[in-house]
Amino acid sequence: MTPALERRARELRARVLVRSWAYRQRHHARGVWFKLRRVLAEASAAFVVAPEDAAALVAEGCRVEPVGESLEPRKVIVFAAAERVARIGSARAVPVRLGRDVLEAQHLVLTPFDLLP
Amino acid sequence: MTFRDRLVATIAAARPVLEEPGVLVVGSEVPNLLEPGAAATLVVSQDLDVGVPVSRHAAVKRHLVEMMVAFTPSPEEPSVWTPRSPELLEVNFVGIDPSRDPADAYVFDDDQLPLLVFGALSLVTAGVEIEVGGARVRLPRPAGLLLEKLVTDRTGEKGERDLLVALGLLMTAGPADLEELDAAYSRLRPELRYAVRSNLTVLSLLEPRLGMPDPRPQRATVAAALRRLEGDVP
Repeated sequence: MTPALERRARELRARVLVRSWAYRQRHHARGVWFKLRRVLAEASAAFVVAPEDAAALVAEGCRVEPVGESLEPRKVIVFAAAERVARIGSARAVPVRLGRDVLEAQHLVLTPFDLLP
Repeated sequence: MTFRDRLVATIAAARPVLEEPGVLVVGSEVPNLLEPGAAATLVVSQDLDVGVPVSRHAAVKRHLVEMMVAFTPSPEEPSVWTPRSPELLEVNFVGIDPSRDPADAYVFDDDQLPLLVFGALSLVTAGVEIEVGGARVRLPRPAGLLLEKLVTDRTGEKGERDLLVALGLLMTAGPADLEELDAAYSRLRPELRYAVRSNLTVLSLLEPRLGMPDPRPQRATVAAALRRLEGDVP
């Protein structure tokens, strides 16, 4: 009687199955995308920097985000204060999204949000 | 005619059904109606979703004849009622079954008003009643609807619209709503909690779409919600 609704229900159940599979794969390659989005979600801005500038930040104690090391080629992803990033000559702002700039970057510096009250 | 005018006129035209006990407005218009004076500034879709508990289906059916003045059921999908006037929005009926798993979905078949029952709507409970267009409309509690939006698999443009609805709810949520969200989230099984967090990360990276609210200024709010759900309450 309601083929359109039956089709939508089937499609919805199929998406749930795929999602369940992705959940089971979350500790493997499939889970990298969530982890990358999770890191980017904490970033108010993103900058591509030169390798030596990324190395300097790491030497200063900026933590390297593990998800960058799960990618191939590996990325160095670190958070740094906006004031510090402002002093990096090579820093080039890129949109905070899973776009070409972020995916191609090998050395990415993210600035954190100010914590909300 | 503004979007708000169309929304108010639609609610007035659907009044017989909306005032039936148990019926809730769900979906994208909830944040609009929760704004002060139901200002309806967060336009993400051009329809009104009406949640019908399957236990109230027979009672709702009795009012459908009154709605036929302004709407007609779509032949292809009879749970969608299309307006006879361009000054009204489409009305979509969806089923609510509190006994179902949030990941489930089934068709409640009926000759006159079949419903696609979304299990995620089992997370929704009745909240405030407001008066709009002369009709008394029951809205869901924001926390439950927010969780429903975030627990459902979201794909494509429709998925992005739904995530913008979640953002609208997050923006209007008060401290008590957030505490309720925490509690409801903690009762979900791990896979669904993961889905909620995953959808929040997708929401965080959404690009603006023409004619829809720009989500980017609210990214800090989304990040705070993620930290909160992960237990890192600032």
